[in-house]
This record gives sequence, structure tokens and C-alpha cells, in this order.
Amino acid sequence: MRHGKYPFIIGFLAVPVALYAVFVVAAYVQTFQLAFTSWSGFGVIKYVGFENFEKLWNDDLFWKSLRHNGFLLLLLPIATIAIALVFAFLLNVGGGTKGGMTRGVRGSKLYRVIFFFPQLMALAIVAVIFGRVFSSDKSGMLNGLFPDSWQPWLFLADDRWALTCILVVLVWQAVGFYVVLFSAGMGSIGEEIYEAAALDGATKVTLFFRITLPLLWNTIQTGWVYLGIAAFDAFALVNIMTVDRGGPDGATSVLAMMIYRNTFEYSQVGYASALGVVLFFLTLTFAALTLRVTRRDAV
Amino acid sequence: MARHDDGVVTVGRSRIGTVFANTGGILFGLVMIFPVYWVLNTAFKPDAEVRSFTPTFWPENPTLDNFRSALGEQHFLPSMVNGLVITAMAVAAALVVGFLAALAIARFAFYGRKAIILVVLAVQLVPFLALLIPLFLMLQGVNLTNTLVGVALVYLVLLLPYTVWTLRGFISGIPRELDEAAMIDGCTRAQVFWRIILPLTGPGLVATSVYGFIQAWNEFIIINTLNDPNHQNLMAWLLYNQTERGTAWGPLMAGAIITSIPVVVFFLIIQRNIATGLTAGAVKG
Repeated sequence: MRHGKYPFIIGFLAVPVALYAVFVVAAYVQTFQLAFTSWSGFGVIKYVGFENFEKLWNDDLFWKSLRHNGFLLLLLPIATIAIALVFAFLLNVGGGTKGGMTRGVRGSKLYRVIFFFPQLMALAIVAVIFGRVFSSDKSGMLNGLFPDSWQPWLFLADDRWALTCILVVLVWQAVGFYVVLFSAGMGSIGEEIYEAAALDGATKVTLFFRITLPLLWNTIQTGWVYLGIAAFDAFALVNIMTVDRGGPDGATSVLAMMIYRNTFEYSQVGYASALGVVLFFLTLTFAALTLRVTRRDAV
Repeated sequence: MARHDDGVVTVGRSRIGTVFANTGGILFGLVMIFPVYWVLNTAFKPDAEVRSFTPTFWPENPTLDNFRSALGEQHFLPSMVNGLVITAMAVAAALVVGFLAALAIARFAFYGRKAIILVVLAVQLVPFLALLIPLFLMLQGVNLTNTLVGVALVYLVLLLPYTVWTLRGFISGIPRELDEAAMIDGCTRAQVFWRIILPLTGPGLVATSVYGFIQAWNEFIIINTLNDPNHQNLMAWLLYNQTERGTAWGPLMAGAIITSIPVVVFFLIIQRNIATGLTAGAVKG
């Protein structure tokens, strides 16, 4: 039976491997190559050594953008996972115990659908709507809700709070998905485990920390990586929502936004490629670190 | 497992806790649903009400003008068709290619298997924005810019990692004994894949096609870079249209609703399976 295995393997993997080789590996090789040039997108390609990286090192906006990515990278997963865990727990176990069965709150099926809705809306549309929510004059939804006597809040036009607004939208968009994901994970934790613990006198809080959390750890870890990747990107929201795309005064600039602007607005493809190389290594480092740090024995 | 904690003996429900849970759920649900409601609200308002400085929570004179004006735009219908064609091509190709790749990874042990799994994972992580220029140059070299096929190819590459990963989870969940039993009964290996594994992977194929559909349908940066205005999809058109004409909120929201309809319909059809489908890959990862 052993013979005839390789024709299948080669046949099944040839197409994806070829696609990756061309569209990902070759494309990235080219990005690495362009990072050492001063190419503008047109005309002759001239190699300039490490000039782009030196420029990057001395670019204040780069460090600022990096800090902003770091801010999102730290807070997006923490906020999203914390909120999602609490609500998934409420939906599944929050309804109390009746007749020896642990139940979710009333209407938990409906909640699951509602929570999933943001996931169905394109990020671009979400960005447009929240641009309205955070609008800095009285026509904005939040400002419209505030009493008339208040000064309108600036939100996205305020360089201290603009990035937080972006974070709020990212969390809003992501959290429903993780509620559903964690709910599914919690659903697969056997009823009898909860019952046994409840009989042993465990409170809801104990149940959450001693049983739910450890048993969901793998799912949480996966979620952490995906949210981290979203934090590295954040391009669509920054591009559509923010004042002056990354403003005010660079207060919401992120690496992806810098890449985009350098490529398409400033015709600095070489510099943009250098930023792409940096982003590449940062993302991979993050993923490797996350998987290593959060590795943990199953319960 | 939980141990005996001193002094804690409640087994029954605590009323306060339940009230708290329900209130929390309702509030949170409202926050989640509010923007969706606001889109609907704005889309059915006449222009004067949209521009009004005192926002109302219900359109006083509901109108379909915004939908008419969105649908009447020159590029609207062609963009919609483009989007559907590109999405269909990308998702169909991702399912076929992804299923076969997942089969190879899940059912065979071979040299380089680990490496392939790692690469599949790594590609998901790498920001695609950094590849826009090389991709553009590459597709231009083979005359695939300003075509639907070119964009569909790039989307296929984007969708593959998730597809392979999820389907791999599903296939690993099918006991190998089934394969063996079928082969003893005289099935060839190809027949095993076709008659046994493919049908059993059904829910996984549904889940990945939903994910693929949402991703491809909503993408706008890549298509905007690769194609001219005549070859955009609905999302790119919507955003382009917005910047072009300032803030015509009514038609924009109407356009957003029309753009979301296919995704919502798709979602409602398979809603029951979605949680299982989404988690199967992750949990068994």
C-alpha cells in the first residue's frame, strides 16, 4: 500500500506550492530587493545600500508609528479577549443552575447572532460608520447624545485620543467573533465537569478561572495571534477614519499606513519596501514569541 | 479541576448574578447592534434629515431615494458583477486547491510536511500590504492587471492558508479506520478521498467558503491597486465613490446595505454551522 503515495502528495501540493512560490516568496524577495534601492516606482532602479534603513532609523514618524502599533498590539488582544471571555461565559454559564444543569442567560442564541453581525460588515463600512459616530461636531452621534451645553468632544481630531478611538472600533469589530468562538469552546467543555465542580462548592468565579480558562487556553492562544496580526495591520480603519490619514499630526500613523503613503503618494517605493521588510520581521517575531510564551500544558 | 474552597457552598442560582448577567448581555448587545441600526436609519432618510444637526432615531419621511441614487451610479452594477465573479472564482479555486492540500497534509507522512505547515501558517501572518508593488509588477508582466482573473489569483493566495488549515482540522477528525476499511473493501485511495473524506468534510467546506466569501467580497485595497475603475468590486467602488463626492451619507449607507446583503444572506443560510466550522480548525490545531 505504501507505493503510490508520492504521486498523490506531489499532485495535491503542486498547485499551492507553486502559488506560494510565485505570489508570496518571489514577491517578498522582490520587496527585500527594492528595500535597497531608491526606486520611485518609475524609471531606473538604483541600489543605495542601507540608506533606506538609515533614513528609517532617523525618521520620527517611523518610531511614532511603531509605538502606535505596539499600543494596539498590547491592548487590542487584551481588551478583546477579556470582554469576549466574560460575555461568552455569561451566555453559556451565566444563567445559573436549574435542575442541576448549568445554563446560559435567556436569549443566548439571539445574542450569538447579534454579536456576529459586526463580523459581517466590511471593515471599510465599519470605518465609515464610526467616522460618523466620532464626528467632532454636533452632527456626530456621540456628540449629538451629549447635552447641548457641552463643548463637542474632538475624538479623532484630538491627537491624545484619536488612537484610542481606533482601538475602540477594532475591539468592537473583533469582539463578537471571539464571543462566538469562545462560546463554541465552552460548549465543548463537558457539562459534568461544571456539575462536579458546582457540587464541590465552586462559585462562578472559581468555575471561570479554574475550569473554563484553562480548558480554553488553546483557543485563546490562537485568538491572540490573530488579534495581534490585526493590530499590526489596522490600515483600513486608519486610512478611512482618521484626520489626514494617520493624523492629526501623525497621532494615528501605523506602519502599514506609512507603507501605503510612501508607495502611492510620495513615490518612495524603495523606502516603503524597507518598511515592509521591518514589518515582516516584526510580525514573524511576534507570532513566534506568542506561540512560545503562551505554550502551556493542557489540563 | 476545582478543589474544595473553604466556606463556599452555593450550588443554586443567585438571583442578583442572573439579573446582572442579563443586563450586561442586553447592554452589550445594544452597543454591538447600534451602528448596524444607524446604517439602516440613515439609508432610509431623505437628504434633509440626514444633514440635520439634531439626529433623529427614526426616518420621519422614509424614502428609497438613496437606494435609487446608489443603484443609478454608472459603476454600481458592473462593480457588483465584477465582485461576484472574482469572489466565485477565488472561493471555488480555494476550496479545490485547499481541500487537496489539506488531504496531503492530513493523510500522508512525508519529508517536508512540517515545513509546509509552517509556511502556510507564516503566510497568514505576513502583512500583504508590503507585497502590493511586487504583485502589481508581476501581474503587469503577464498582462493580468485590469483583469478579474488577476485579482482572483491574488485572493486565492490570501484565502488558501485559512482554507488549508481549517480543512486539515476537519480531515484529521475523520478516523483513519474508515479509510482502511474502505480500502479493504476494494476502494482505491482516490476513491477513498472522493467517496468518504470529501462528503465527511462537508461542514468544513461550508465554513471555509463563508470565510472566503466574506474576505474576497469585502477586500478593496488590492483590487484598487491592481485594477482601473472599470474593474473594481463593490467595496472599492463604495469607498472611491465616497471620497469622490464628499459625504453623501444617504446613498453611501444605502450602498453599504446593498454591499452587505450577499454576505448577510450567506451567513443566515449557514448560521447554524458557523461556530462548529470556525472552531474545528482552531481547536484541533
